[in-house]
Amino acid sequence: MKKIKVLVNEDKCYLCGGCAGVCPALAIRVSSSWQFFEDKCISCMICIKACPVGALSYEEVAQ
Amino acid sequence: MKYDVVVVGSGVAGPIVARDVAKAGFSVLLVDKKPAIGTPKQCAEGINVNVFKEFDIPYDKRFINREIYGARIYSPSGYTAELRYDKVSGVILERKVFDKMLAYYAAKAGADVWARTEVIDLLRKEGKIMGVKAKHEGELVEIEAKIIVAADGVESTVARLAGINTYAPPHEFDSAYEYEMIIEGYDPDLIHLWFGNEIAPRGYVWVFPKDEDRANVGIGINSDNEKTAKYYLDKWLKENNIPTKKILEINVGLVPVGGFVRELVKENVAVVGDAARQVNPVHGGGMYEAMKAANILAKWIVKALEEENLELLKNYTKEWWEVEGPKMERLLKLRRAMEKLTDEDIDVFVQLLGGTDLEKLAGGNYFEVVKALMKHPKVLMSKRRLEILKALL
Repeated sequence: MKKIKVLVNEDKCYLCGGCAGVCPALAIRVSSSWQFFEDKCISCMICIKACPVGALSYEEVAQ
Repeated sequence: MKYDVVVVGSGVAGPIVARDVAKAGFSVLLVDKKPAIGTPKQCAEGINVNVFKEFDIPYDKRFINREIYGARIYSPSGYTAELRYDKVSGVILERKVFDKMLAYYAAKAGADVWARTEVIDLLRKEGKIMGVKAKHEGELVEIEAKIIVAADGVESTVARLAGINTYAPPHEFDSAYEYEMIIEGYDPDLIHLWFGNEIAPRGYVWVFPKDEDRANVGIGINSDNEKTAKYYLDKWLKENNIPTKKILEINVGLVPVGGFVRELVKENVAVVGDAARQVNPVHGGGMYEAMKAANILAKWIVKALEEENLELLKNYTKEWWEVEGPKMERLLKLRRAMEKLTDEDIDVFVQLLGGTDLEKLAGGNYFEVVKALMKHPKVLMSKRRLEILKALL
């Protein structure tokens, strides 16, 4: 299991909050900006698939 | 600041809870993180016309774009089934105005309302939840409350912070994308739905008319799909030669279509609406269920406050599951059955279905419809189709 960091493309993101809704670990918060909490992320990638506009991607981080 | 109740989220469920509790004479604060309540919309905006009477909401032309007389569904090969009444059966709202007006009704009933107020955490003292911590225009505020209502939409942050389990696997959400655009050639008195595994995996494409030539044109697909909702909607528009040169608005969001929450209350926190996954799993519409749940929740909040017994809140869970639960379970079953259909199955079923069948299916009362379908030769000859239908009985 690789450890990832989720990245947002701010030009594509609508701040709809869907990614926060499907995240099992409360690792994303969406208000007037998109916030990611790396320490909470469990690298499941559910958010990346769920985004209706494909605004999320990831990069691997060293464990 | 101290209130009897703080309601987090001012969509559909939140303001109705706030309105009804304020009406009973208790102090309520309704907060929403958005600077403009109702904006942006995340909705196809269609609702049954009966809700105005049922939930005591004015039939105000300021938030009604268009009256609708029925629905037409389309199968992958172009078969259609239509339901058309002589009387108005539904309306296409202007959610930006509707949601704001719902908050206005709450305010008129005595609730305080604060836009641009984001709850960032719960307020805990000696292990007890005492209220919420929020940011209002960058300023930190502590709001003490006897009861906290988590009506904060699909993100469901407040309920989860309180330890209410609203987690659901990604397959229990639809990923949705919508244009409000100029579109012509579709009967503007009906809503239109297209089904097919190539068109919208697990969901459908919709056209909900707001004018003769303007509509919400959107799509919902399973959120665990490899491709995006936007990809499928753009593909559909292209294949149907629908020009996309007059786009007035773009809306994005996730829709719960399952993942029901068994325990809607924990101590003094209650969850309602999208946050509680109280959405019709077949068509993904959540406004009616949100209103219904808000109504039940408000009743038990008032009782709990009157009798100074927060234990009474648990009756909201009980009543919701008694009143709406059986229907929701049936609809979830139907959604799961529909997911198994091939395009050919959808063609066959749409050919066999009449308008009133559609109504029964959307409402989850499908026993007669399924029984009738099972007698049809095109179904009888297919073991698989029979199995899918049998599972529904």
